[in-house]
Amino acid sequence: MLTARIASAQGNYEIQVYGADTVPPKSLMIELHSNYTVTGQPKVIDGVYPTNHQEHETLELTQGINDWAEVGFYVFTSEQDGHGVQWVGDHIRPRVRAPDRWHLPVGLSLSTEIGYQRAEYSTDTWTWEIRPIIDKTAGRWYLAFNPALERTLHGPDVNQGLGFSPAVKVSYDFTAKISGGFEYYADYGRLGAFDALRQQQQQIFAVTDLNVSPKWEINFGVGLGPTAATDHLIVKGILGRRFDWGKKSAVE
Amino acid sequence: MISRRRFGQLSGFAAGTAILPLPIRAATVPDVTLDIAPYTLEASPSQHFRTVAYNGQIPGPLLRMRQGQEQSIEIRNSSKDPEVVHWHGLFLPSDVDGAMEEGTPMIAPGTQMRMSFRPDPPGFRWFHTHTFAGKDLTKAQYGSLHGFLLIEPRDDPGGYDREVFLALHDWGGHFEGGGDGSMNPVYDVSTINGKMLGFGEPIRVKQGEHVMMHVLNSSPTEIHWVALAGHSFQVVALDGNAVARPQTLAMLRLAPAERVSAVVEMNNPGAWILGDVRKHIQSAGMGAVIEYAGAAGKPIWTQPESLNWSYREFAATEEPGPAADEAARIELVFDAKFEGHGSEEQWRINGKSYPHTDEPKLNAGQRYRLVMKNMSMDDHPIHLHRHTFEIRMVDGSPEMRGPRKDVVLVPAKTTAEVEFVADNPGRTLFHCHQQDHMDRGFMMVFQYAE
Repeated sequence: MLTARIASAQGNYEIQVYGADTVPPKSLMIELHSNYTVTGQPKVIDGVYPTNHQEHETLELTQGINDWAEVGFYVFTSEQDGHGVQWVGDHIRPRVRAPDRWHLPVGLSLSTEIGYQRAEYSTDTWTWEIRPIIDKTAGRWYLAFNPALERTLHGPDVNQGLGFSPAVKVSYDFTAKISGGFEYYADYGRLGAFDALRQQQQQIFAVTDLNVSPKWEINFGVGLGPTAATDHLIVKGILGRRFDWGKKSAVE
Repeated sequence: MISRRRFGQLSGFAAGTAILPLPIRAATVPDVTLDIAPYTLEASPSQHFRTVAYNGQIPGPLLRMRQGQEQSIEIRNSSKDPEVVHWHGLFLPSDVDGAMEEGTPMIAPGTQMRMSFRPDPPGFRWFHTHTFAGKDLTKAQYGSLHGFLLIEPRDDPGGYDREVFLALHDWGGHFEGGGDGSMNPVYDVSTINGKMLGFGEPIRVKQGEHVMMHVLNSSPTEIHWVALAGHSFQVVALDGNAVARPQTLAMLRLAPAERVSAVVEMNNPGAWILGDVRKHIQSAGMGAVIEYAGAAGKPIWTQPESLNWSYREFAATEEPGPAADEAARIELVFDAKFEGHGSEEQWRINGKSYPHTDEPKLNAGQRYRLVMKNMSMDDHPIHLHRHTFEIRMVDGSPEMRGPRKDVVLVPAKTTAEVEFVADNPGRTLFHCHQQDHMDRGFMMVFQYAE
């Protein structure tokens, strides 16, 4: 997920709290993340373009490997007056989850993500993230927690060590097809030496998910960033479609 | 709201208290004794399940009874939970049929009861527990309280050399922890007669034999598809009732509680696998080896590539059935009330969940047509107690004189119509045989008018 520390210098490209499920084998999930910063950073800082009024389109392709593993690939783009449509970078994200036979009372998976982004959009050009994912559905409630750790591999923050960037989602099923709730994203800074509050990234989104079909993912939200280091108002949307490929047999 | 479990405790024990201890009758030796007690199943050396079984075996003992000949049965409950034994497919009075919803008394832990009945109709029946499991996926039908019951007719047409009884079952059920996985149970292990493929004794046959295979799906929730590599099945009866048109088929489909009786001609020497057609189910253990005398080598499996089964193939072609207007129609709509992606649905019949469902009154001697419209996304194996019905229509098929059964699978988003004659007065339970569905309200009771 290209957010958090990168976001401290740039905007948000994929704003999503991960659930523990993985894409099934012989399936490809295609998602388009569309995020628009209504009110963001208006100035050029350290050569990085301002986030204000940036439109980010991120293409995410996730291929199921087996019933407990997947790999995702991202293409980040940005559109802004004066800069046009620009390629920002790419990431790759392998992920594994606890198999069903473990009979865990919660969903559990582990994601790792590595990738490059251009210096015009992030001073840290190579970054790595490891993201544990825990989720639980209980009745109408859904809870997901992603206590992510991030590290810069190339850029000014390369000596900063691990940063802590948790994300949380709480939602409620109003009907079988409509859920609503909140998503929280943060970057507290270096693990063991968190930044002062005003330097931290803090965002909270009111979101809705439309569960129209197992093949479709539709998410929409509006987020507020109350701290000085955060973009103050962002609108986000995710549109995903799962494609099954290969010969499907009733006996499989 | 009174839950099904609470309702059962109230009604069952209230009735049972007066009826349960029968020390006077105990002076005579019963024809059948069933001892319900804890048991550990070894499905394979690495797969053990703590469960409760009849007479320390899985499946329970094979019971053979003569049609119409009175049987006395003693049931001892050595488990820690109240129990009741349902005699599935028999025309019995409500107080011994084996459903607390009909008024059969529960058997309290540590007690025993006697009952007697004259078994009818003839055919392949079975007996099983009829209790509540809820979220404990080791109890009720998730456990191992099931056994074969063969009611031998006064005149057996024969046509086979020997019989083999096979029970399909699933074990280690659980709800998945995260995401949307809580809707239906999933299982770790599947067995035939309590053993995973490769760990049970082979079924030994001789070339030229005609083996009658009585196959029961005792699974709490799962439909199974079964084939015998290198052979075909001549299906002669469904749910124990002879079919109008026996069919020779490559595979059988059995919804929970369904039975198929099929003759297999042993005409292809070797060692073969009889198992679930779907790869992941057979991998979970659902299979058995059929071994010809003198055969050697690894058992062979031939993988079918499609699933084929239709009730319609067994329908009579020439007999015109009773006119549709001879039967009084009872419209039943099945749907579910959404309770969240992390909960199972609350199942409803005509908008109500048991114990709040309607109790339609039947007139003795009247023919009825149950028009079952399944609005849900799940298939439902529907069971009518104490009666046999005739399938008249499934999934948009033309009108037919279909097989006589006591369970019919009504696929998702389809309508099925069956007819029966109300000829066995007493409270009569009607329900989905999926344990998790009946636990969540998918039941209703028919009454008879006075």
